Amino acid sequence: MSVVNYSTREITCKIVYYGPGRSGKTTNLQHIYSQLPEDRKGKMVSLATETDRTLFFDFLPLDLGNISGFSTRFQLYTVPGQVYYAATRRLVLQGVDGVVFVADSQARQLAENIESLQDLHANLAEDGFDPRTMPLVMQYNKRDLPASEITPLDELDERLNFRGVPHFPANAINGGGVFESLRSIASLVLARLSTPAAKG
Amino acid sequence: MTPGEKEPDEGTEFADFMADISNEISERVGSLDAALPAPAPPVARKTAKTPATSESGMILDWSNVVDRMIEEML
Repeated sequence: MSVVNYSTREITCKIVYYGPGRSGKTTNLQHIYSQLPEDRKGKMVSLATETDRTLFFDFLPLDLGNISGFSTRFQLYTVPGQVYYAATRRLVLQGVDGVVFVADSQARQLAENIESLQDLHANLAEDGFDPRTMPLVMQYNKRDLPASEITPLDELDERLNFRGVPHFPANAINGGGVFESLRSIASLVLARLSTPAAKG
Repeated sequence: MTPGEKEPDEGTEFADFMADISNEISERVGSLDAALPAPAPPVARKTAKTPATSESGMILDWSNVVDRMIEEML
């Protein structure tokens, strides 16, 4: 996906929220949606099962309007975290400009976080992206749970964040850390605009 | 950084986000505009010379005529 198109004066960024099942990806998008002013509220498309698990993906278009003469849009997606939706995750990742990896801080979910991160890297590589250079931020969600149930931040970061990318503690259900993560990934994606090769 | 504990006012977070992103885009677009090569000046179109003729219409400058014929064939 082209990030900036000079001929049509458009900037479009596709950001995907990735992570294991029930880590809080959809909750991130729901919080962002809840904060949108009415005149910018498009439709958040969410396909969930009867048990509220994301079946296919969530899609939230963010129309930021005209910025410096460019019509600017962010497209936020989530992937279904469950292992058996691998094909859907690959599909949603196509043309991605940046990834927010939403990790579940619960200690018992550490293995799932690692597995999901490996899955992300494999899928990016399969789509021809270099996983080492793809804009990425880590979000350690559910920090509001009792300390006895969650992995300490330092340990999570050591186990998951081997690239040393920006990382944010969050409790997405109350909005904590949600916009910090979005702002950070947006900044990383937009940083690519400074190289003319990023033109569409 | 610590995750926010209370629900912020509706729209405030988005407004802050918009302000940050607008600044970022303005800077990036400005720097990219400066980095892009300046558009090439328009190239003046070559016009074929009119062959020199005598008053009676006799062609005097054959080399020009041949050049023009070749140009038009190409």
